[in-house]
Amino acid sequence: MLDILPQWMKDGIGDDLLFWLGYFTNGKHLTWYASVQYTLAAALFGALTALVMGLAGAALRNARFGPARLVGALYINMVRGVPDVLFFLFFPLAFEQLVELIRAQAVCTPEGLAANAGQWPPCDAANWFLGTPEYLALACVSLGIVYGAFAASVISGAMNAVPRGQLEAARAFGFSRAQVLWRFHIRQMWIYALPGLSNVWMLIIKATSLLSLLQIADIVLWADRLGAPNFTRSAGLVHPDWRWGYYLVLLVFYILVTFLSEKVFAAVTRWAGRGMSVANPA
Amino acid sequence: MTDLFAPLLNDLAILARPALFNIYFAFASIPIGFVLAIFMALGKASRNALVSSLCRGYIYAFRGSPFFIQLFMFYSLALAFNLSLWKPLGIDGIVLNPLVLGPAILALNTTAYSAEIFYGALMTVPRGEVEAARAFGMTRSQQFRSVVWPHLIRLAWPAYTNEVVFLFHATALVYFTLPVIDDQKDLMNMAGELFEKDYNAVLHFSAAALYFLAISLAIFLVFGLVYRHLTRHMPGAVPLRFRMNRS
Repeated sequence: MLDILPQWMKDGIGDDLLFWLGYFTNGKHLTWYASVQYTLAAALFGALTALVMGLAGAALRNARFGPARLVGALYINMVRGVPDVLFFLFFPLAFEQLVELIRAQAVCTPEGLAANAGQWPPCDAANWFLGTPEYLALACVSLGIVYGAFAASVISGAMNAVPRGQLEAARAFGFSRAQVLWRFHIRQMWIYALPGLSNVWMLIIKATSLLSLLQIADIVLWADRLGAPNFTRSAGLVHPDWRWGYYLVLLVFYILVTFLSEKVFAAVTRWAGRGMSVANPA
Repeated sequence: MTDLFAPLLNDLAILARPALFNIYFAFASIPIGFVLAIFMALGKASRNALVSSLCRGYIYAFRGSPFFIQLFMFYSLALAFNLSLWKPLGIDGIVLNPLVLGPAILALNTTAYSAEIFYGALMTVPRGEVEAARAFGMTRSQQFRSVVWPHLIRLAWPAYTNEVVFLFHATALVYFTLPVIDDQKDLMNMAGELFEKDYNAVLHFSAAALYFLAISLAIFLVFGLVYRHLTRHMPGAVPLRFRMNRS
C-alpha cells in the first residue's frame, strides 16, 4: 500500500511514522475497514425493513377489523418483551431450519433420512449452507422485524397525533377515504413520527454491532482478530493484547455515526415540518 | 395435550437456574446505576461548566455506542491491566470475575441512560415551587429533599421503568463477551446449549423468551405499584404504560 508514496514523501515523514502507516494499511487492516460495508448495509436495509414492518404493524394496530388490531398489538408487545439479541439469533436459525425442512420433503431419500435420524438437517442433501450474503439478508430481516415493532408503535402514535380537524376538512372537501389517508393522514403523520423514528434508527445502528454473532466478519469480529495478542514463531511476540484500543476505535465510530444521524434527522425534521404549524416538533 | 407441553415445561425447569443469573446481573447493577445516575443528572444540570460538560460527554458517549462494544472494550481493558495491576494487587480474581465485571459494565451503561431520563425530569420540575422553597429560606439540600426530589422521581418513573426493562434485556449480552465459568450459565447460554443438543430452535428459544417476557412483566408490575404510590396524591394520574424510549 505504501509503495504508491513517492520517495521524497517517505523520507519526509520518518521511519517511525512510516512503520505505523504501513501497519495500519496492511491487508488485514484494509479488510477491517472494508467490513464497515456489512454494518452499514445491515443498518440501511434493516431500517428499510423496519419502516415497512412499522407501517404494516401500525396499519394492523389501527385497523377497524378487531382480530387485525389484536395481531398488531400482539406483534408490537411480543417483540418488545424479549431482548433483541434473542430474536436476532433465533430468526435466522428458525428460517434456515424451515427452508431445510421444506427442501427435505423433495430431496431426501429414505436412506438419507435414516442416516441422519435424530439430527439436523433431516438428510445431508437438504443441508442449506449459509454464507455471509445469506446471513446478512437474514440479519436485515430480523432487525426489521424487531425494530419494526418499535417503529409500529411510533407510527401508530403519530397517526393518532394528526389533528382530527385536518382530516375532517379534507373529507368536507370531498376527498375519498383513500385520498384522505394517503394525501393528508400519512403525509402529516411523518412530522409527529420523526423524533420516534430517529430513536428507532439509533437503536438499529447500535444493534448492527451484533452481526458478528451470525458469523459475519464485520468490524467487531475484525477488531477482535486484529487486537488479539499476536505471536509468531519467527518474530516472537509481535504485539501484546491491543483489543481495548481497537474496541475504543469502534466506540468512537459508533458515537460519530450517532452524531451524524442526529444532524441528518434534525435537518429532515426541519424539512418535513416546513409549512406546518407544529409547535416544537422535536 | 400434556405431551405437547411436556418439552416446554422441561425446558422451563432447566432454564430456571440460568434465569437467576440474568436477574442477578440486573439486580446488582440497577441500584448502583440509579444512584450514579442521580448524581450524573445533577452534574449535567450543574452551573459549573467543567462538571456539566464532563457529565454531558459521559452520557452522550454511553448512549451513542452499543452496549455490546462497551462490554468488549471494558473487558479487554480489564484484561490488559491484569498483569501490571490486578495480579500484583492480588485482586485479579475479583476484577476479572464476570459476576463482578458484568454488573459493573451494566451499571456504567445504565447510569448514562437513566441520567438522561433524570435530567429530563429535572428540567421539568416546576420552577415556581423551587422559588417558593427558596423564599421560605430553605437550604439547597432542603430544597432538593422536599421539592425537587419528589417531583423528579415521579416525573422520571415511567421512563425509568422502561430503562430497567431494557437493562434486563441487555443482561442477555453479558455472556456473549465475558467468560462462562463452570455452570454460571445465563438464559442465552443455556438456550444455545439445549439447541446444540437437538436443534429444536423454536422450543428452546421460546422457553428463554418466555422467561424474559415474564420477568419484564414482573418488573412492570412492581414498578407500576411504586408509581401508584408516587402518584397517590394526584387525582386522575395516568397509570404506567409500556413505552419505547431507550435510545
